[in-house]
Amino acid sequence: MTSLIIVSVLAVAVLYLGLFKYKTALLPVSVTGLLAAAAMAAMDWDLEKMYFSEMMLFDNYAVAFSILLILTTLLIFGLSRNYFEKISNNVAEYYALMLFALAGGVVMVSFHNLAMLFIGIEILSISLYVLAGIRRKDPASNEASLKYFLMGAFATGFLLFGTALIYGATGSFNLAAIASSGAFESALFRAGVLLMMVGLSFKVSVAPFHTWTPDVYEGSPGLIAMFMATVVKTAGFAAFLRLFLMAFAEASAFWAITVAILCILTLFAGNITAVFQDRFKRLLAWSSVSHAGYLLLAILAVGFSASSAVLVYTIAYSLASVAAFGIMILVSRARGNDHLDSFNGLARTNPFLAFTLTLAVCSLAGIPLTAGFFGKFYVFKVALAQGYTWLVVLAVINAMIGIYYYFKVIIAMYMKENANAVAIQLNPGFRLVLSIVVFLIFLFGIFPGLIANIL
Amino acid sequence: MILVWLILILLLGGLLSWLASRWNVLLARWIALGAVAVNFVLTAGIWFGNPVPVGWVAELDLEWIPRFGIHFHLALDGLSLLMLLLTFFLGMLGVLCSWKEISYRPGFFHFNLLWVLAGITGVFLTMDLFLFYFFWEVMLIPMYFLIGIWGHANRIYAAFKFFIFTQASGLFMLLAILSLYYVQAQQTGVYSFDYFDFLETPLPFKTAQWLMFGFLIAFIVKLPAFPFHNWLPDAHGEAPTAGSLVLAGLLLKTGAYGLLRFVVPLFPEPAMAFAPWGMLMGVIGILYGGKLAFAQNDLKRLIAYTSVSHMGFVMLGVFAFTELAYQGVVMQMITHGISTGALFLLAGMLYERTHTRDITRMGGLWKSSPALGAAMMVFVMASLGLPGLGNFIAEFLTLNGSWPANRLLTALAAVGLVIATVYSLRIMQKVFFGPMPQTWPAADLKPREYLIMIPLIAAIIWLGLFPQKTIETSGHAVTEISLKKGGSR
Repeated sequence: MTSLIIVSVLAVAVLYLGLFKYKTALLPVSVTGLLAAAAMAAMDWDLEKMYFSEMMLFDNYAVAFSILLILTTLLIFGLSRNYFEKISNNVAEYYALMLFALAGGVVMVSFHNLAMLFIGIEILSISLYVLAGIRRKDPASNEASLKYFLMGAFATGFLLFGTALIYGATGSFNLAAIASSGAFESALFRAGVLLMMVGLSFKVSVAPFHTWTPDVYEGSPGLIAMFMATVVKTAGFAAFLRLFLMAFAEASAFWAITVAILCILTLFAGNITAVFQDRFKRLLAWSSVSHAGYLLLAILAVGFSASSAVLVYTIAYSLASVAAFGIMILVSRARGNDHLDSFNGLARTNPFLAFTLTLAVCSLAGIPLTAGFFGKFYVFKVALAQGYTWLVVLAVINAMIGIYYYFKVIIAMYMKENANAVAIQLNPGFRLVLSIVVFLIFLFGIFPGLIANIL
Repeated sequence: MILVWLILILLLGGLLSWLASRWNVLLARWIALGAVAVNFVLTAGIWFGNPVPVGWVAELDLEWIPRFGIHFHLALDGLSLLMLLLTFFLGMLGVLCSWKEISYRPGFFHFNLLWVLAGITGVFLTMDLFLFYFFWEVMLIPMYFLIGIWGHANRIYAAFKFFIFTQASGLFMLLAILSLYYVQAQQTGVYSFDYFDFLETPLPFKTAQWLMFGFLIAFIVKLPAFPFHNWLPDAHGEAPTAGSLVLAGLLLKTGAYGLLRFVVPLFPEPAMAFAPWGMLMGVIGILYGGKLAFAQNDLKRLIAYTSVSHMGFVMLGVFAFTELAYQGVVMQMITHGISTGALFLLAGMLYERTHTRDITRMGGLWKSSPALGAAMMVFVMASLGLPGLGNFIAEFLTLNGSWPANRLLTALAAVGLVIATVYSLRIMQKVFFGPMPQTWPAADLKPREYLIMIPLIAAIIWLGLFPQKTIETSGHAVTEISLKKGGSR
């Protein structure tokens, strides 16, 4: 709880720093604040505290995901030096909005009441609508913002309607009360579950509610897209799983088949479309859709270490995405665009970047020695334990498709040449963050026990 | 502990070599050579200490991910020992043959080469199926780079094809491993990936059959057996010499090893039921691979197709379920590794001299390079199964062991020896004899090349004349596997 307060106060403080033009202080203050927030969250471990008459519950699940969200934001801030200055004069807005979104994310992973879920999602989303459209003079950015806002508002409607129906069926917003209400057979309840599922599916870009994803990612500034792909997606899935685990687990026989179908649709839509992309940012956007599909596999397996699987998967996925988006930003800045051809010959000019990106896409593709392999292995494992063999077979086929498009960029970097490529300059922040990511991807790839035992 | 060192030395050697290449390329090459040589000496030391190993010579079992019952479990028996000797022997030659050939990013090259070898070493040693899959995949990425960066003209396509084929089939194996894990947990309550636990688990026939197919697909793509051989000519043809050597000599053997170590012992009954089809695939591979080899003009593709043909004998032998045939398979793995590896090395040497792989453009080279020709002659004869050389023993044992299992298919497989004679002699004739379509700069073997060829020639002759030593080494392990034969025929 203290961490949530710190993050919120930090956001306000950053806004004031911007007001008084203390630009140089923005980054140090944000980083210090986030570190403090992560530390305070860690101190809540094993306490299981309820807050505000059971509105929020800081159990280990909430703590683990909060820390993950905060640390991922920290990594993104590490890349942000000199980044926002190039697009805007009001740098403080970016930091403040991202911190507000983060606060929403923390609420989303720790809610114990449907009202809090709604509030968390809205805090997160509204910040993002602004962030997506923050390059006011860029039509793509405006399009992204408008699209995201319209579709997002629509999805929120679904979510609220579902919440209302569930309240009607069970008489409570409290997750524990819903779980023990025994109203699982009523049509009202079932309609509520489905509507909430639609609303949440939109937020985590699950097919067929994913259509906004590529355009919004493409129109937003690179770092914001990175934030959406990592922090927002992690928070969304943690909320999704928390809701279905704590409130709807008993009714799983009813909704499981729907989730399974969404899972298949998402996997195929994401992976097959990604094959045809020739811009790396769009490729990553579609691949992030496909990763939502793998994560749904874990949601299907409620109760059987699903939360541990989702945590491991999102850690691996966030790390790899930070590296992939980060290098995409560097390359598109240095070479004009993010077309796959722009990566040609990167292995010769920037061996470190090429190696890092190789590791990142291997992790996204799920190749051993990287954290991503273990994430995939884990979600497959929990889904198999629940008897979804056919679904895992389909997921495995999708993993093969994934390898095809992820390797395109490796081919470009190592096997194609670009005669007039020059080395890309890295600032120390990038070097530090990318080194940390490389280290962690290897560490969790070789000793997955470190993260598998958290939850 | 020595088993971990075998893997670690290669991993560290690879890293060190990469680092060293920043300052001194020659040093990088020596480090790579040294790392593999140390491993060879260590393994040879084990072998001299236990010429006739019974059971498990060395074992190491550490907890890795206790939550899932995953162990870092390595063990060495006679079969693994032979495979490791082959791995490090060919590994040294792989470093040596790249000495002059590879000048583009040599550090990264040796890093990849050594990491492939480390993956292969892991595959031959591990007794935990999760770990096995882990190493199985670790082999792939460096191999992909070896083909894709240092290969010939069509390398990107070849590397990609190789990777997709093996990775896709590997994922089916992962699925089978995971399912096996749960089936076992349901039956016995033990959550474990350990090979020895799986051996004890009784499986219902239908389940076992599906699981076996998961493993089988990974291994026969790697082997490769007809109709999954399609990636092989591209990958072998386009790879650099050391890459072809490792692919043909070692990577294919991991498929054969997997069949012997996992498919037959873990799923004896379904394997038995599949046996006629397996043998049929083997025979088709032998005949069809031989036919295609005869039709090639590209020397490396030709040799690649001979691999398809020779690996057919492995399929035939594995599914014959007799101890004799298994001995033949083990011999075939070793002798094919040496003879085909040598042929690829020779093709690489010819390419360095002529800059072509097209055998119709070569000819009459015996005059200018008799020693090269003589070396080629030895391995061409080995490839066609001349008595006195190792391959003869292997094929003879396999055919002999398969005869009781299926006479018709064995007879057809024997026809493969005739085809082998035809395509093998065609190599000699086109390259070294006949008219010389254009003159090539005369250059016979250099000292470094002698250093590569002499051990290979010695090995293949030694295996042909004194096979007993090898057979004794793997004898106990092979008997164990053949005793696993489930039910009655």
